[in-house]
Amino acid sequence: MNKTEKPSGKLFGLAIDEYEKISELLGREPDDFELGIFSAMWSEHCSYKSSKVYLETLPTKGGKVLIGPGENAGVVDFGDGDALVFKMESHNHPSFIEPFQGSATGVGGIMRDIFTMGARPVANLNSLRFGSFSHHRTPYYLSEVVKGIGFYGNCMGVPTVGGEVVFDECYNDNILVNAFTIGIAKKDGIFLSSECEIGNTVVYVGSATGMDGIHGATMASEEFDLKKNKKRSTVQVGDPFTEKLLLEACLEAMKKKLIVSIQDMGAAGLTSSSFEMADKSEKGMIIDLDAIPLRTFGMTPVEMMLSESQERMLIACEREKFELLKAVFDKWGLNCVNAGEVIKEKVIKFYYKSKIYKTLDIDTVVNGPEYKRPVKKPDYLKEIMPVKINNYKIPENLNDIAVKIVTHPNIASKRTVFTQYDYTIGTATVVPPGFSAAVLRVSGNYEEENKNKSKNDSKGFLLNVNGNSKYAYLDPFTGGMLAVVECARNITACGGSPAALTDCLNFASPEDPEIMWQFAEVVKGIKSAAINLNTPVISGNVSFYNETAKKEGDKTYVSKIYPTPVIGMLGFIKDIGKIITPYFKEEGDEIYLLGEVKGNLGGSLYMDLAYGNFRQKPADLDLDYEVRLQNCLRSLIDKGFLKSAADVSEGGIFTALAESAITNPEKTLGFVVDYDIKGRRIDEFLFSEFEQAFIVTAGKELSGSQGSIAAEILTEYGIKLEKIGMVKKDIMKINSIINLKSGKIKKGYYSVI
Amino acid sequence: MNNKNIKAGIIVFPGSNCDFDVYRVLNEVFDASASFIWHKDKIKDLKKYDFVVIPGGFSYGDYLRSGALAARSPVMELVKDYALDGGIVLGICNGFQILLETGLLEGVMLTNNSLKFECKDVYLKTLNFDTPFTCAIKRDSVLKMPIAHHDGNYFATGGIINDLNKKVGVIFKYCDKEGNITDKSNPNGSMHNIAGISNKTNNVMGLMPHPERSSEKILGSEDGGYIFRSIIKYIKEK
Repeated sequence: MNKTEKPSGKLFGLAIDEYEKISELLGREPDDFELGIFSAMWSEHCSYKSSKVYLETLPTKGGKVLIGPGENAGVVDFGDGDALVFKMESHNHPSFIEPFQGSATGVGGIMRDIFTMGARPVANLNSLRFGSFSHHRTPYYLSEVVKGIGFYGNCMGVPTVGGEVVFDECYNDNILVNAFTIGIAKKDGIFLSSECEIGNTVVYVGSATGMDGIHGATMASEEFDLKKNKKRSTVQVGDPFTEKLLLEACLEAMKKKLIVSIQDMGAAGLTSSSFEMADKSEKGMIIDLDAIPLRTFGMTPVEMMLSESQERMLIACEREKFELLKAVFDKWGLNCVNAGEVIKEKVIKFYYKSKIYKTLDIDTVVNGPEYKRPVKKPDYLKEIMPVKINNYKIPENLNDIAVKIVTHPNIASKRTVFTQYDYTIGTATVVPPGFSAAVLRVSGNYEEENKNKSKNDSKGFLLNVNGNSKYAYLDPFTGGMLAVVECARNITACGGSPAALTDCLNFASPEDPEIMWQFAEVVKGIKSAAINLNTPVISGNVSFYNETAKKEGDKTYVSKIYPTPVIGMLGFIKDIGKIITPYFKEEGDEIYLLGEVKGNLGGSLYMDLAYGNFRQKPADLDLDYEVRLQNCLRSLIDKGFLKSAADVSEGGIFTALAESAITNPEKTLGFVVDYDIKGRRIDEFLFSEFEQAFIVTAGKELSGSQGSIAAEILTEYGIKLEKIGMVKKDIMKINSIINLKSGKIKKGYYSVI
Repeated sequence: MNNKNIKAGIIVFPGSNCDFDVYRVLNEVFDASASFIWHKDKIKDLKKYDFVVIPGGFSYGDYLRSGALAARSPVMELVKDYALDGGIVLGICNGFQILLETGLLEGVMLTNNSLKFECKDVYLKTLNFDTPFTCAIKRDSVLKMPIAHHDGNYFATGGIINDLNKKVGVIFKYCDKEGNITDKSNPNGSMHNIAGISNKTNNVMGLMPHPERSSEKILGSEDGGYIFRSIIKYIKEK
């Protein structure tokens, strides 16, 4: 850009008043270099300028939290001197522009956030949203995104143990890729980006800097216009092999105590890593741009600063240890250059061609604008009313609808997706993908003698990612709560105790007051559920501007995603031998309903498939009841009373029963359920979603010898347990209304995607 | 079970990523003495090891061709000498690919016929029980182990296949749960359902499934353990 040109509209993603503010702070108009730095650091992506006021209200402390938001990732106490480090991050915009590289580098980026902290990544999960299953571009995005995730994670040797894949037309023009990584570390071996000391050498390690990803952060802070392909150069290109070497080199250097402070070069690359490290350490830095290893000859200073080339880190090390540090990176065949020094004065001094090129004040750059943007309750919500079920006639053949529901792309098995990810590497995956939550044990810390292995190998941890944007659209507050509650249910259903969470909040433009209102409500919902379930928010990420300008004929419009809060949750279990899985185990086991069924069909898949209208208000969530219900279930599992437990989520009780019957890896089971629906409509019982209830099975002992202890537990929590049927072979029968063959359902369930 | 006197060397290339899993299983589950051999370690031979494992992963990123770069690493010259001298060499997944690229085993690995990375449990039938890798496997048993690879579609010309069959060099074939060798149970299109082969003297074996991921009950199968058990038994009885 020519700097004499007067800006019009948005400039590198900066608003006019932001541009003016920068000019005011500098006492003149910014030049190219400054404009590049400010545009990156003041981007929504790096500065959280629209979301900060809301995010600050979330509970971030308490429980087992060691380090909350603000670092590269959050840290939770895992006992026995162990710590778990995790975070989820979006890579939506790059993945829509170039799905393979976009998703691959999303996975690469989040793993770097984890090992920057001194933790070895031990599991990946992801949450993916694609357009309607029948949209012509969906197969392309699905196959490329999945390939990209596998490409990166598999090569790194980190198992991808779970995730979700959702199709909805609101993502036709903006797919979402949210990647989650968890790593394990020693509590006393955590590394931070805020510990630079004056006199430390600033070290650049990893891949050379290239022309890829320039303006990535600003790109991710803008909506798409009609010229999406022009943005391909803003997408980074991933090299998982180099990242594997970087991982080993960093962890080796950390073990040898050669690193004082470290940050990954993620969004806005060298710019954000240098400014943020210096700022958090309350120091300054000299950065020698002549030292930066380059892939492309003749890159300008601003290009070097904004490149988002992957697999790079910025390290502060004691000056006298630099050679030792370099020896480690040499062993792994990676760049390791002395690129500056930590100084006292809170500025960054850039050297270029052996001369001082530019000095920027850190406070000015990092303290970007913060907005409390206008909010307005969206107009569409006026039409969202509680469902008046009597206006809808029960369809003649509910069996057909039932089949449609379990074979709907959002319900059907995602086996063809997760078998493209290595989920068994690491010898820690106890419950693989495809069931409620992934369960992992602690297998070791990847070093000779395994000497940092946990002292306790009977413990385990559980992971789940979840979000329901349809509900968040119909009722943002409930949608926010539901994402948290649903994760907790999946963890509890295996016997685990929810411990902490990370959130990825995907929204359209924050400059639209209606979107901002949705955001505020969703955050309120997350907050309320997180407080009640005692699962603090330890890290997270916000992705705005998930909208695209569209043109159809003469008409232009903006295609916006539903508000899509996605939660990634960690749970613990003391004795991993007590884990249960959601599928039925034996013919003859008894099926129970734990909890209560309200029968509210608002927003359900059933309403959509049977009547073509899901735009009704979903049921409210009683958090007090929810906590009691989950505690009760956990207690029953801990006593060893239950053989399986599945929550009632999308597709209702019918789907919970059907999935429990057909997902047993060894055999095909079925069920006969006879339940007094007490004058209610059968479809309300079968298909209402996100009920505060679980389908559980047990052997005959539960109604016999174990009965009295179980009854005590139920009374203690005030929860109802009703026997509703029995596990059978091959057939699915409910109240002589549903009558299906398990084999047929299974075939459909596993062959849709 | 004390197998501390049994020394295993695990070759580590840049990009190996199953090295630690093998290390942990050999040391902690089978109580042997396994240690890593970094590809650049300055050693002149591998004689001190009772057996050598080339673990899975993405050596050198599998850039160029799976296993091709690692096969040309100087440490593989030592492995060749060791193998020609009768040493026991086990290549798992990427290790199998490296052994093929080195020429210690014959044939090539093509991309899976699904053209996708495949991670799943498979069942294996053992065809030759008279090797260091299979001598502790129960006759008629079907082994359950996971695979996780993109290029596991074994291919060889007729001459090689004949040779393999003659010398009972086909060690494992993919089969169904009951042990039937069917097309449906073949996860990658591999010729004749071949999952693992050995050299003519049966002291070098490569297989695509991961025995180290199926050596403990908590992981869903202990069947892979029979391969390590066999090696240990063979060495002890030698």
